[in-house]
Amino acid sequence: MDQSVAIQETLEVGENCLIAVQCLLLLKDCTESRLLGLVEHSKEHALFIFTHRRMAITGNDVTLQKILPISYDFSVVEVSSPDELSVVGADTRVRVTFLNEEMELKLPFGSHTRLFLTEVNRAWCDVCEQYPASPKFTWLTKYQKTSKEPGLLTPSATRKLKKKGKSHTTHTDNKHTSTSTETTKGNRLNESSHGREKVEVRNELVRSSQHTVSNKAQMLTMPQFGLRDNLVKCELLKKEETYTYIENFTFFLGTYNVNGQTPKESLQTWLASTSQPPDLYCVGFQELDLSKEAFIFNDTPKEQEWMKAVLDGLHPDAKYALIKLVRLVGIMLLFYVKKEHAEFISDVEAETVGTGIMGRMGNKGAVAVSFKFHNSDICMVNSHLAAHIEEYERRNQDYRDICSRMLFKQLDPTLPPLTIMKHNVVLWIGDLNYRISDLEVDHVKNLILKEDFETLYNHDQLKRQMEEEAVFVGFVEGEINFQPTYKYDTGSDEWDSSEKCRVPAWCDRILWRGKNITQLSYQSHMTVRNSDHKPVSSLLEIGIKVVNEAIYKKTFEDIVRTLDKLENECIPSVSLSEREFHFNNVKFMQHQAHTLTLYNDGQVPCQFEFIQKLDEPAYCKPWLTANPSKGFVAQGASVDIELEVFVNRSTAPELNSGQQQLEDILVLHLERGKDYFVSITGSYLPSCFGSSIHMLCQLREPIQEMPLETIHKLSLLPSEPNNTDTEKALDIPKEIWMMVDHLYRNGCKQEDLFQQPGLRSEFEEIRDCLDTGSLDTLPGNNHSVAEALLLFLDALPEPVVPFSLYQQCLDYSYNSSQCKQIISLLPHWHKNIFNYLTAFLRELLKNSDHNRLDVNILATIFSALMLRPPTKQDILEKRKAKEFFQHFLVQESH
Amino acid sequence: MAKQYDVLFRLLLLGDSGVGKTCLLCRFTDNAFHPSHISTIGVDFKMKTLEIDGIKVRIQIWDTAGQERYQTITKQYYRRAQGIFLVYDITSERSFQHIMKWASDVDEYAPDKVQKVLIGNKSDEEHKRQVATEQGNKLAKAYGMDFFETSAFTNHNITESFTRLAELVLQANKKDLDLLRVSINDEVDLAALEEEAGMCDGSSNTQKTCWC
Repeated sequence: MDQSVAIQETLEVGENCLIAVQCLLLLKDCTESRLLGLVEHSKEHALFIFTHRRMAITGNDVTLQKILPISYDFSVVEVSSPDELSVVGADTRVRVTFLNEEMELKLPFGSHTRLFLTEVNRAWCDVCEQYPASPKFTWLTKYQKTSKEPGLLTPSATRKLKKKGKSHTTHTDNKHTSTSTETTKGNRLNESSHGREKVEVRNELVRSSQHTVSNKAQMLTMPQFGLRDNLVKCELLKKEETYTYIENFTFFLGTYNVNGQTPKESLQTWLASTSQPPDLYCVGFQELDLSKEAFIFNDTPKEQEWMKAVLDGLHPDAKYALIKLVRLVGIMLLFYVKKEHAEFISDVEAETVGTGIMGRMGNKGAVAVSFKFHNSDICMVNSHLAAHIEEYERRNQDYRDICSRMLFKQLDPTLPPLTIMKHNVVLWIGDLNYRISDLEVDHVKNLILKEDFETLYNHDQLKRQMEEEAVFVGFVEGEINFQPTYKYDTGSDEWDSSEKCRVPAWCDRILWRGKNITQLSYQSHMTVRNSDHKPVSSLLEIGIKVVNEAIYKKTFEDIVRTLDKLENECIPSVSLSEREFHFNNVKFMQHQAHTLTLYNDGQVPCQFEFIQKLDEPAYCKPWLTANPSKGFVAQGASVDIELEVFVNRSTAPELNSGQQQLEDILVLHLERGKDYFVSITGSYLPSCFGSSIHMLCQLREPIQEMPLETIHKLSLLPSEPNNTDTEKALDIPKEIWMMVDHLYRNGCKQEDLFQQPGLRSEFEEIRDCLDTGSLDTLPGNNHSVAEALLLFLDALPEPVVPFSLYQQCLDYSYNSSQCKQIISLLPHWHKNIFNYLTAFLRELLKNSDHNRLDVNILATIFSALMLRPPTKQDILEKRKAKEFFQHFLVQESH
Repeated sequence: MAKQYDVLFRLLLLGDSGVGKTCLLCRFTDNAFHPSHISTIGVDFKMKTLEIDGIKVRIQIWDTAGQERYQTITKQYYRRAQGIFLVYDITSERSFQHIMKWASDVDEYAPDKVQKVLIGNKSDEEHKRQVATEQGNKLAKAYGMDFFETSAFTNHNITESFTRLAELVLQANKKDLDLLRVSINDEVDLAALEEEAGMCDGSSNTQKTCWC
């Protein structure tokens, strides 16, 4: 049932529902049925999702629930449990995503689903090929009102791949849109909120795990979408002649109008009239039961009786299996094969067409069986056409009706139903009811007596109608060498003696259509006297296409091999400009970048993404970013990815102390394709920024003058020195002294000190000066030095007030003497720095007329740096930290 | 005739750099051999369709970087394999010794049911042989694996070893597959024909019960 018709009714002019599929939406604990329609409007596509009642027949049966525009942000992937074997034959599960929308659907197994997914995928590929041009979807805006979920059509389609900027921002954006749609939720759509939860989770992990490796294989199966099976079938059909040969089989065809009688005699004289047992039997009856009950309820005990009579009458020298029995009121067809042939019969379908009263009822019409024997498609039709001598036009019409209305469904539901004429061989038997025209009854009987069948045949309506090509075009009938089979007095061989005194006629006929068919006999059976008709039989020798298994296997394997090759060639592939990147002399807070160029050397467009490694929180180390970290490369095109290294205060300490090196391996993953490893190495120049206080206090020389081993060893020492250490060591790090002293001497009266930002270039000079000792005095203006001091404090792995004392400081922030008490507990060097800095700040406050600083400003700035919590700080904590710090600024100033 | 019954599974090639994993893969899927050595830096794969026991088996063969520095990354691919080839080079004693390490990684990271086959590649280079066939046999036996000496160059034992591993995987998953086979069996048999011909097509039946 094509449900796209129902969807089409809901659409505007110019919009077409290309294909529809019914599916199950997977919710948390249940599933709900949905109808999916792929809708096209001027080459833009969108997926329409409907709720529906029953199987949708009209537009009233469906209610639009959601629209997902097929843009670059859209994706549909097949999902199955990655750790199990995936077996084709089960229902297809897909995950559809559009921006932050995500849903899982279960589609029925079969090629219709495949076709649907292929179409959707094609629509998506079209969008990708157009990239960066993106469809506008203006035609969808009108649906925003009717759709149950407004706000779905967010300005998605225009999203561009970010070239620059931190990747975090996009994700937070997503989160915002998702919360804004939340409010519009109707409570019946609980599945969406479930979906949202998942989206939220995914966004959280977006940098880390969006592409777990396990997704990969599922994607792999995506583009084929079962096309493969169809391709194999198609190729096999093309090469049919190479692996089949013609073998003859005998078909016994029999037709008998039994005039409502019950079987009273053996049918062997009719059915077993051949010397050799035929390979197949096709036995048709008409007027099996003339009762009203049979007509109205299509149920008759005669079916069993005649079936038994036939079974008993079949050739005794072979065993037969009934393949199919099909009956419409009194028209019955029985199909038997020799047992040894049964395994070569397949795709058996039976259908009936009524052409009787009102052109539909079953008192006239046809029954038929369609099947495959070896590799030949065969259709057997048994028909009973309209009666009465003058009604030959009506009989022609019945024939045409039967031909057009007899449709056999195919195993593959995407294929159109098979008509009678589509079969390689058509065998048509029955009471066709064509009569002898233009001859008086006595003349006819006379000709019959003389056995002048030729003259008589020239007056046969069927012959004449066939010559005029009014009926049975393309069919062949053998020469008739038997007397007319209608109408006799029942139980005798005498012509109808009733008042009507019918003209004898060849009502019962056997015709065929197809190649390689020879008639071996065509006869009536006078000794069967059960009815007012005589049964007719024909023995045909039919050349059937038989499969040579060995050649078939080879052909099949060749096709599979070719397809494998094709498929392997279509695996996305890129070449990388370089596989190893080295960043030399990386400095604290100094940006370095190298360009990685991806060239799509494969045969398909592809999506790439750097993926997370096992047990690691992100696709790369925190000091590294790839920009963009995912994207799309058209076939033959290339994309530049900036690999950027930036060491900040959170990554510097471990690099300074040697616990970490600049080393990483990135995994570049192509969707449905390979993974590439990209090695990143670098040398980091240790800096006082991000080094610990106790280490710096023990360095008399600038840090970069020292051997790395010394630095690494010193940074691992405990922060509370023993006496021998303090003797050799400095009281405070010389770097702090240099910066503070510089400001003390040059900047006490500097307006807006600590409030105006420094210059980046000057900061770099200051950093190098401190780390290398190249200059005696610090370069840069006061603001730059001030900023360097702040950065220095900020980068300390352990702040001036150690983490362990942080909470205590806050707890006693209201009490000045307690605060001082706590400071006395600081480790030696930390205490020195604290006192040194607070003294300096108090000095600055003395010049507040010039530098416009006050306690409040300085406490805010410095408490945040010197009194840092190990984790995030809330406002209350901030206020307390500031309060704590203020005690040390005001104390001596009054 | 072709049945609508298809299995897809993954095989993984593991072993030291330079033992010929990529060559084995190319020989098996493309019947081609490229003598020059280009290190695989990443994870590559190819598809191949086989018919085993009348079942159409589509296998995805993953070729991994053998270099030591990538091993922590390649380990994450193990858990999704149903079958693993442990490959060494018969002309490299070292690569053979490393098999033990590869095998213990497999034990740690691959699924319990994973099937393994030991491959001694480059059997054509007899003159440079450092690992006797008997050593390979012995090691395979100790680990309960099948063992093949192969040559991607001469195409010796290539199809045999891949087919064997595919068979092992099928056997190991036989239970699951048999269950499925019952539910999608579309074979014509006489009994069914006599009762109700034409309706014995399993796939359309399941569709009916679930989808209308």
